[in-house]
Amino acid sequence: MEEIKNKLEKILLKATKPARYIGGEIGSVVKDRDKVDVRFAFCFPDTYDVGMSHLGMKILYGLKNQVPNWWCERVFMPEKDFETLMRENDIPLYGLESLDPIKDFDFIGFTLQYELSYNNVLQMLDLAGLPVLAKDRTSLTPLVVGGGPCVCNPEPMSDFFDLFILGEGEEVNLELLRLYEKMKPSNPTKEEFLREAVKIEGIYVPSFYDVDYNEDGTVKSITPNVPEAPARIKKRIIADFDKVYYPDSFVVPFSEIVHDRSVVEVLRGCIRGCRFCQAGFIYRPFREKNIDTIKNETKSLCEQTGYEEVSLSSLSTSDHTKINELLLSLSEYTDGENVNLALPSLRLDSFNEELLERIQAVRKSGLTFAPEAGTQRLRDVINKNITEDEIINTCKMAFEWGYTQVKLYFMMGQPTETDDDIRGIAELSDKILQLYFETPKEKRGRSVQIAVSTATFVPKPFTPFEFEPQATEEQIKHKQEILKSAVTSKKIKLSLHYSNTSVLEAVLARGDRRVCKAVYAAWKKGCYMDSWDEHFQFDKWLEAFAETGIDTAFYANRTRSYDEVAPWSHLDYLVSHEFLVRENKKAHLAQTTRNCKEGCSGCGIKPECGGVYCGGKKTST
Amino acid sequence: MAEKRLQPKNVDLRPDRYDKRVVYEKCGRAKYISHLDLMRAMQRAIKRSKLPIWYTQGFNPHIYIMFPLTLSLGFESRVEVMDFALLEDLLDEEVLKALDAQMPEGMRIVSCSTPVHSHTEITHAEYDIRISADKTPAEMVEKFRDFMSREVIEIQKRTKKGTYKPVDIRPSLELISMETDEDHLNLKMKLPAGGGFNLNANVAAEAFLDMYGITADEICIERTKILIENGEVFC
Ligand code: SF4
Repeated sequence: MEEIKNKLEKILLKATKPARYIGGEIGSVVKDRDKVDVRFAFCFPDTYDVGMSHLGMKILYGLKNQVPNWWCERVFMPEKDFETLMRENDIPLYGLESLDPIKDFDFIGFTLQYELSYNNVLQMLDLAGLPVLAKDRTSLTPLVVGGGPCVCNPEPMSDFFDLFILGEGEEVNLELLRLYEKMKPSNPTKEEFLREAVKIEGIYVPSFYDVDYNEDGTVKSITPNVPEAPARIKKRIIADFDKVYYPDSFVVPFSEIVHDRSVVEVLRGCIRGCRFCQAGFIYRPFREKNIDTIKNETKSLCEQTGYEEVSLSSLSTSDHTKINELLLSLSEYTDGENVNLALPSLRLDSFNEELLERIQAVRKSGLTFAPEAGTQRLRDVINKNITEDEIINTCKMAFEWGYTQVKLYFMMGQPTETDDDIRGIAELSDKILQLYFETPKEKRGRSVQIAVSTATFVPKPFTPFEFEPQATEEQIKHKQEILKSAVTSKKIKLSLHYSNTSVLEAVLARGDRRVCKAVYAAWKKGCYMDSWDEHFQFDKWLEAFAETGIDTAFYANRTRSYDEVAPWSHLDYLVSHEFLVRENKKAHLAQTTRNCKEGCSGCGIKPECGGVYCGGKKTST
Repeated sequence: MAEKRLQPKNVDLRPDRYDKRVVYEKCGRAKYISHLDLMRAMQRAIKRSKLPIWYTQGFNPHIYIMFPLTLSLGFESRVEVMDFALLEDLLDEEVLKALDAQMPEGMRIVSCSTPVHSHTEITHAEYDIRISADKTPAEMVEKFRDFMSREVIEIQKRTKKGTYKPVDIRPSLELISMETDEDHLNLKMKLPAGGGFNLNANVAAEAFLDMYGITADEICIERTKILIENGEVFC
């Protein structure tokens, strides 16, 4: 829109990195607004630098824009300096492609990737000039929709959205927009449209469900209040993952972003089932793409973007059934094109040295490792299927190649954790340090540093630990003290930052609908950009919780019984409740569960979902 | 960013190297691309164009590109220059077409040729400066005449240490023409540029506005010429 463009001209140079606010990047899709029937604002509730790195957005952006008469645009949360300038100059939130205000769009879609971005959704709706509460947006458009991993429990955000899209978006987004396109000419009311929309598998309209509570505050029941709404809403899944849409082009930003490179998704889901890891359960089952598909996608992306680096995206790239062949075949192409092949989630132990050297998978300087727990017992509890021997062997190898830094990530506050487990972190770090000194001088690097970071464990829905209490701040501080006194070497560097954000994450992750009021109240008090240290205001959040009668301990620190009705129990993420209970019980016995490749453990996923290992299609050799 | 490689991959060790110089336009949305971002954008554009580009030699080969002058964030220009080299002697027309097809909105390749002058020969550049402000154009004309009639115009220049030191910019200012339209003062100025002394057109404009307490609504600046010592256009 000319009007916004002219206003922007006057303020952009006052903003930091203005190229982020004006669009025009290579690969961005600009259409003739008069020839377009459905307009979709894809909003990432964080800054451009963060959002532009996000793969899901690139996929759904390309997918929708393939349809000639639909136009999907990108929208991000402006930095505070630019937000102030926008408000001073009456510039509503606009799409980066057309510079049109998004309040006039048909759909406003948010991807919910992490809890700490929730309040940015409210802030962005407000900046767009829209009421934040769904009930106050009475007309059909814009329809405010949400997707992404956090919608596996969207209850604390349910007051603000018209509908949620559960699971993988490649098919359901098309179905939803097609339905809209079909109904739009007959001018339906919002309710008429939503009643049709819930007939699509994976579409969840929170206002079509009533939630009742028990006297103790737990959820009693969640029941549909319209006949069209199903009792349970099933997440969507792409069964034929090799054939799924993948963009052949990316929007290439001018300013540097967090992950500034081509990305190719090689597999979805994870075979491992670490019990704390939500991604390991909600993206099940494990599916992968064929080598040729991956190679073609890599080639077309590199050619279209001009990036000098391509990265393979997955939860664990090493688990691709033909990983060696894949890497050799890919590196043949990337070497020839002067493109660097980055492999962020590769398990070093699964390769021989030669291949690693050849593909230069890792930087020489640093090795990153996430044992997550300091003792074998606790690693068994969390089902982090890595033994001390494996850790030791990898580090040994790394030191012999001249690595000088090992970064170790641990979690604190996991179920059954004792002080001995915490001391185990120090012992393991020390053992790794000794490995360096045992490496022959002519092989090892000149100095060494072991960097140990710990994060606070946040229990998440649809994991075996969804029943578990989160450790309190006091408990974490105690654990930190123990670790500090157990580490003696100066070569081991501890970063033990404790953040109150983990409390907020815990409440938002497993909260019910009543938490919406606290989110709203906190937003009213000026809380947003909560993932940015400089903007996070915990005191304001505590006020908001207090004023709205939300007891954070009830949501964060309480052990939930197996038969408690979870706030997300009407959502079906295909992994069965019985399996999660079984896994939880095994955790308390420190028993591990084999991964899907070693043998199916019956998590409840049906073979029709296309999992490589589901239904006994393949067993390990 | 590309990682360090143990062995230079794909580095063509042939001695053949064909230097090319393109003149490009950076206007509209593209004026908000910073110089650092522009370098990356150009590298990617060259890569997409599939031109047989010459990489720097060594352990960390990268696409060789050079910009004789940086263009400040927010300036427009139709006379910007970028140098690079090819491994094959392609026709200028062909190179222009291939690269132009890869330009983002607001950018265009205007011409391509073999470099004549060296970067160090650049001494000046010309700018069109267009100001709208809380004063009428007629008032601004009067003030600008007064500005140019001064013998000394001191501005505070930031040093590397972060302190400020006074610099007289008057000898560096050359007014080529001055016009007005309904709401703008339009100046055409020649300022020192290049490796020696550089005066940013924005700094000159701000010095004027500050001196007379004028609050600008908008300042639009376009670089119109890059010149060498004898007043010829750099090419
Ligand atoms: S059904 Fe079996 S193989 Fe499939 S994801 Fe579940 S545990 Fe793994």
